[in-house]
Amino acid sequence: MSFWQNIPSYFSSEYYTFWVVSIGAGIICFGAGIVGTFSYLRKRALLGDVISHAVLPGVAISFMLTGVKNPLYFLIGATTSGILSIWLVDYIHSKSKLKPDTIMALTLSVFFGIGIVLLTKIQHSGNAAQSGLDSFLFGKAASMTLQDVITFSVIALINTLCIAVFLRAFSMISFDEEYAKSLGFNIKIIKSFLALLTVITVAIGIQSVGIVLMAALLITPASGARFLTNSIKKMLIYAGIFALLSGFTGVIISSSGTAMPTGPWIVVVLSSFTIFAIFFGKEKGVIARMRIRRSNNLKINNENTLKKLYKLSEERKESIHVDQLSDIQSSAQLKTTLKRLEKKQILSQVKGTIILNEKGKIAAREVIRKHRLWEIYLSKYFQLDKDHLHDDAEGIEHVITPEIEKHLITLLDRPEKDPHQSEIPY
Amino acid sequence: MAIPIIEAHNLTVLYGRKPAIWNIDFKLPEGQVIGIMGPNGSGKSTLLKSIMGVVTPTTGYTKVYDQELNQVRHKVSYVPQRQEIDWDFPASVWDIVSMGRFHVRGLFKRLTSEDNDIIQESLEKVNMLGFAKRQISQLSGGQQQRVFLARAIAQQGELFLMDEPFAGVDIATEEMIVDLLKEMKGQGKTLVIVHHDLHTAQSYFDHLVLMNTRLVACGKTSDVFTDQILTDTYGGKLTTISKISQELENKEFPIRHQ
Repeated sequence: MSFWQNIPSYFSSEYYTFWVVSIGAGIICFGAGIVGTFSYLRKRALLGDVISHAVLPGVAISFMLTGVKNPLYFLIGATTSGILSIWLVDYIHSKSKLKPDTIMALTLSVFFGIGIVLLTKIQHSGNAAQSGLDSFLFGKAASMTLQDVITFSVIALINTLCIAVFLRAFSMISFDEEYAKSLGFNIKIIKSFLALLTVITVAIGIQSVGIVLMAALLITPASGARFLTNSIKKMLIYAGIFALLSGFTGVIISSSGTAMPTGPWIVVVLSSFTIFAIFFGKEKGVIARMRIRRSNNLKINNENTLKKLYKLSEERKESIHVDQLSDIQSSAQLKTTLKRLEKKQILSQVKGTIILNEKGKIAAREVIRKHRLWEIYLSKYFQLDKDHLHDDAEGIEHVITPEIEKHLITLLDRPEKDPHQSEIPY
Repeated sequence: MAIPIIEAHNLTVLYGRKPAIWNIDFKLPEGQVIGIMGPNGSGKSTLLKSIMGVVTPTTGYTKVYDQELNQVRHKVSYVPQRQEIDWDFPASVWDIVSMGRFHVRGLFKRLTSEDNDIIQESLEKVNMLGFAKRQISQLSGGQQQRVFLARAIAQQGELFLMDEPFAGVDIATEEMIVDLLKEMKGQGKTLVIVHHDLHTAQSYFDHLVLMNTRLVACGKTSDVFTDQILTDTYGGKLTTISKISQELENKEFPIRHQ
């Protein structure tokens, strides 16, 4: 039976645990997504990787000391060695000339190496309770017990609340640490608190996605959310929602078939969200930028046509035939451009004859004015031969905004003639 | 001199083993526009940061209004160097300027309508009210500088420490800042400004601190802006001091034998 045919039965009581696990994974990912937003904003993406690899020895040691697989003990061990790794990175940074990326790569591998050594030692110790410890590497959300999930969710929620309460502090140190310090805030405490939240989040998160993919859980939601908004609050919300849905969906997908890993699926879903955001984000997204480029092209076509029409009408003082415009655009393009301009009620067309009306003439004069102002500006302020001015102005005339035009007119003292002695139409 | 507004005593800041500023002593008068000048890497920003408590001095101390900075911090506004900040941060102009009220409201309390009025006035002062909702990454260099000034004004301090406010701004902004400085001086405020353009120094500043890791001169602009002192600051001594610093760093000598 396929996944889709199974859907109704997923709501029966035997799937109770399944729902708890998927919701639990969602909440854990949510916590990671919003804490990770600050790692992203503070440009500490790699630090997430360091912490997640560095918690392994902590997990191993806590098992060696207690001999049981208790998630709370793991959490304590993981948090301790995670904090130790951050402290080590900072310490080496302050005492040596090594670059941050080198220090982080070193710390990461040293901790991870020790972790793997300890893990191997445990596996060969003959303790039956150890089986499944290696699932920390890739996560084991689907096999988590109900009790684990509840514990983690509670901690993730506390984490989230802390971020809501300390939003101002965390935003301030992410934007400008030194200014925050100049206001008299205790930056060290704020930074340590944020670091602690990050470590706890990582320690919880690796239980669902594993060490290797944990950094993705911190950084990917934020990097997708950044494409969608320019507000830090909205960014946190989007990152949280992305992560929540990914955790939830990841568990559903992975449990729909045998031998489907949970952690990797969560990350795959998360990455799809981010790719989606990269394409469809407003302002910054690929599609939005394509749209802007397209509308710029239309504007350029419009303005070039207007300019040509205006010049022709000045020469002949009468109506113009379409054929006279054939040198500026291909005939198909010209046809759509003219239609657009007709829609804007700037000109009218009758059987191939074009009449530019008053509104059109004003618009055309504006383009010509900008062109000539730019030529004057270039020749006045830069060493540029006269025959180079025109080409430059052909491009820039479309870019000049009304404010820049006003600025140019004041700067150039409302000139009458351009360098080629043509009049400036005001 | 009456009570100096800023006093530095034996101030030294080491980055690693290399001194950024070295045994600096000076007193600055209240109510004036004061320039801190020196060549690149001469420790101007570090000096400002150590007065502001952003950098902890290795030895020595600074006093503001003859007190510990923490006693009078509410009177002091800091304008960091614009280039040190990532302006692609998701925040609006309003968000940034409202940071200037956080020292009053702390980390948790909401800003009041009084705060909002102050933020609005501060934006008006730098002609940026129309940009209040603008995303900061869309600002020009001059506009970014205005936002930082507005944030400092919103703190409603008496003493302003500004790090290179004229660097990389347009002419209009430079003129606006100069006018603003005059206006603030007229209100009895003290302005300490890190600056690097020698041409404008005489017209902008009443008082000058000329430094090159060590203090070269500190006094009225008319007294210290002389060819001899400028040569001392920007010329020969530079190489000697930086050679010594290099030795200290490379050969692990201590700056002082204890």
